[in-house]
Amino acid sequence: MKHQILFLSKTIFQNHYNKVTPLSRFLSTQEAIERRSHLFTLEKKRQAENVGRIEKIEVKYKGVPNDCTLVMNKGISTPYDCARHLSEWHVDTSALALLDGTVYWDMHRPLTENCTLELQNFTVAEPQQVNKAFWRTCSLLLGACATVAFKDTVPVQLHSFPGPDIRSGSFIYDIDLPTLPDWKPTNQELYTLSAEFVKLVRQNLILERLEVGEELALEMFRDNEHKTKQIPSIARNNGKVTLYRAGHHVDISKGPMISNTAQVGRVTVTSVHKLIGSQDSDVKQLYRFQGVALPTNVVLNHFAYSILTERAKKLNPARSPISFATDKEDFEPESIAAKV
Amino acid sequence: MNQAEVSKLVSKLRIKVPAEPRKLRSPKGPEGRIDKLRKTVTGLIKYERIELNHNRGDEARQYAERLISEAIRYGDCHKPTMDVANYWLLEKELIHKLFKVLVPRFENCNTAYTRMLNAPRPLPSRVDDKVVLELRGNPYPSLVNRQSNNRLLIQNVLLDAAKYDYRQSKYAEMAEKIGQREEAQALEKKSKEPTKESSNESKTPEI
Repeated sequence: MKHQILFLSKTIFQNHYNKVTPLSRFLSTQEAIERRSHLFTLEKKRQAENVGRIEKIEVKYKGVPNDCTLVMNKGISTPYDCARHLSEWHVDTSALALLDGTVYWDMHRPLTENCTLELQNFTVAEPQQVNKAFWRTCSLLLGACATVAFKDTVPVQLHSFPGPDIRSGSFIYDIDLPTLPDWKPTNQELYTLSAEFVKLVRQNLILERLEVGEELALEMFRDNEHKTKQIPSIARNNGKVTLYRAGHHVDISKGPMISNTAQVGRVTVTSVHKLIGSQDSDVKQLYRFQGVALPTNVVLNHFAYSILTERAKKLNPARSPISFATDKEDFEPESIAAKV
Repeated sequence: MNQAEVSKLVSKLRIKVPAEPRKLRSPKGPEGRIDKLRKTVTGLIKYERIELNHNRGDEARQYAERLISEAIRYGDCHKPTMDVANYWLLEKELIHKLFKVLVPRFENCNTAYTRMLNAPRPLPSRVDDKVVLELRGNPYPSLVNRQSNNRLLIQNVLLDAAKYDYRQSKYAEMAEKIGQREEAQALEKKSKEPTKESSNESKTPEI
């Protein structure tokens, strides 16, 4: 009895303690991720309920096995659903949808009007946009695996990633590790990061897209000071922030992204470089995580792949988000994660 | 050895020929088997691309290859070859096609004349393995989607960029080397009187 009472008083005391001080201070990385994901789910549900009366749209599919017309639900059906009407092959390989021959559309983004639809995989004749989407997705997943790879005692603050540049040889994510002022990863640690990446990819997570208002985005990223600063400039145009979710990880990006993490095949996290901020920037240093990846079903000789990994170890020349010397105006749109 | 060279008697096929002929089940026995194969060979020459079971396709392919290679080897003025063509091609206008169309097409070909590809089969099903048998150079769209030469594929973009990077680093290295040599020579010239031999040496670049 005495024990129970003690326990009760303890919980009451803790509750009280939690209420007095702001919640965000005590969120561990893991809790913050789950909270963000939960908010994402709620908002997605709310938006789905807002669709109201279901209207039909005609989607004209072009491509193999034959052209056909699908009647889909406006604001609900996605290109992914269209692919499911066709075959498993379409579902598995399609990375991006092309609407009306001009607009590149995420596979999991609801269609809004009558359109023609082409499904794009990694072996189409002109795969530039698909490649870019792939590279962008890899950056996002790199952020996801970096947040879960560290121990709870090491806070991880994602900063941003620049637009995809495949010719640079590596995809990158700039991450702030405030408690590690001078960290050089050992090979073992890089292996661990790569393994974490592979684990994430093997979960076959779909990449969900959601547009949210500025306030909600700020609420979701309350624990991340860098993103909090970036959100107003992203939302300046139309007050919306585009979010993507893979598993529980939610991040800001303009998109589009590929359909499923299962489409990422061979992947290596190759290096982590330190970026030193300039004098007038408020962030003193960041770590640039770099990696290289190939889509599934791309067979590449191990020697050729080793050339790619060796090259990806060099510091990626993409512009550092924290070193702006003179042109501050030019810097701002570049720094945000959503910039493509 | 007093034995005749086999390749002078029979043209060598460019496909793998199993040691034993395959038995194809037929109520008429061996004759029925040959009938089946004749139909298939005729169909192949006529339509240039056919889909059929693996056993029959593989067996008929050998006869078709042999027929075409004989036709190329002996031409249309050779009685035995004409007889063979007459026997294997059930539709007689195809004999003209064989000699007038296929022989010129395959004359300078250095691979097999036919191509056999595995065809998909619906799952779950108990049907036999299906294949697509086709003559090379047929007018239909290609069955395989090999685009490994497409420069825009992500792996090719990455490798191209790596190659470019490597070349640039090598050029920089070479330029540095030449610069160093020139500097050293300039110093030498200053310190000593330039001789003819040293000037000759400087003209040959060391790469």
